[in-house]
Amino acid sequence: MNEEEKLTRFEGEMLPLMNDAYNLARWLVQNEPDARDMVQEAYLRAFKFFSGVRGETGRAWLLRIVRNVCYDHLKKRKVYSSDEELENIPDNNSPESNLQVKSDVAAVRSALASLPEDFRTVLVLREMEELSYREISEITQVPIGTVMSRLARGRQQLAESLKKMREKDLV
Amino acid sequence: MTCDELHEQLEPFFDNELGLAEAQKIQQHLEQCPTCEAIYAAGLAVREALQKPEVRFTPPGDLRSQIRAELSKQVRPTPQRRWRLPAFEIPNWLLPSLAGAAAVLVLWFGFNIFPTANRSSNGLLATVTAQLVSDHMRSLLPDHLIDVVSTDQHTVKPWFAGKLSFSPPVYDLSSQGFKLIGGRLDYLGNQEIAAVVFQHGHHYINLFVWPKSESTYPADTLVQKEGFNIIGWEANGLTMCAITDAAPDTLKTFVDLQKKSHMSAE
Repeated sequence: MNEEEKLTRFEGEMLPLMNDAYNLARWLVQNEPDARDMVQEAYLRAFKFFSGVRGETGRAWLLRIVRNVCYDHLKKRKVYSSDEELENIPDNNSPESNLQVKSDVAAVRSALASLPEDFRTVLVLREMEELSYREISEITQVPIGTVMSRLARGRQQLAESLKKMREKDLV
Repeated sequence: MTCDELHEQLEPFFDNELGLAEAQKIQQHLEQCPTCEAIYAAGLAVREALQKPEVRFTPPGDLRSQIRAELSKQVRPTPQRRWRLPAFEIPNWLLPSLAGAAAVLVLWFGFNIFPTANRSSNGLLATVTAQLVSDHMRSLLPDHLIDVVSTDQHTVKPWFAGKLSFSPPVYDLSSQGFKLIGGRLDYLGNQEIAAVVFQHGHHYINLFVWPKSESTYPADTLVQKEGFNIIGWEANGLTMCAITDAAPDTLKTFVDLQKKSHMSAE
């Protein structure tokens, strides 16, 4: 496989996954410019190591690279203000949706954004990307038992903060 | 089963990672125990909230082209390599088998690499592919995707009838994950062709249909161009060509479903 053939195959296999890659990166680094950079960096890194992966395995493989690139970035970014990040969440989706839906979406987004990174990562991979425990364990590089306990605690915390938000709205 | 035992297995149950027997035990416990049922319901509420499509983030529109530009910088055109003689000596006993191998290679190359009859059709194929890719990309611009908006095949098919001299097959495959969302007229060269549009998750599939001519598309071969995946086939004197930014396996599934619907419709 020469380099041009490799590029053609890589683009065919991997560009369809860009939505998933971006969603994960955006949830990990919590802002748009960094998420863009992360996805681009992940694609370049993936291309270097690409030798023709396929299907679901390819998806887990790319998401693992995205996750690693994001974690490297987060480690470097020492000052880490969660207040600032919460304000940084634009709702750039579905301008046509009504206000009620918008406020629900904003509530869910800020609740998820304020979860600890480890919990947020497994929730995004499980509930949004619908990956299996095995795939999540490969991506996050922790045992399946840890994946499970992070999911359990993440769900619990998210349920509590959503409940609090709803109560606040009702008062 | 006790509540503590259930808590240990609740996550894998919730995520469909348990065997049938264990799952049934949990199901039974949940039906009898309101406390555990409440925990389960809270998990479901979280799942429902997170799976709203609006909660996902979608990439900025220009990210794809930016990544492609960066990737292409990684690849320089392959230089023409010079043939070099091997720097080692070939033992005499190997010579006859090498000669045999060479003869096989000559035959192989002669028949496969230079099929002269196919040369011109390859050029044509490249032109057709390039046009379909640009049709597909144009269709993804805002308000360009669909002329007739309908998820009903009995609305989309007659809409084409008034506009084209042929009748493209239109099948709704929403139950299999490929939702029919409408149709559009498009062009291949000067020829008007049909575009039937499907949605799969956040990906779109354009199914282009035109009467079979001398410019046939290679059947059932995955063609990849500019990051899009394309598969063509023929049915009832029509050339069908599906193009998408979804993964190759997804496209293959879509094409198989189209063919099956077509066969059962006849």
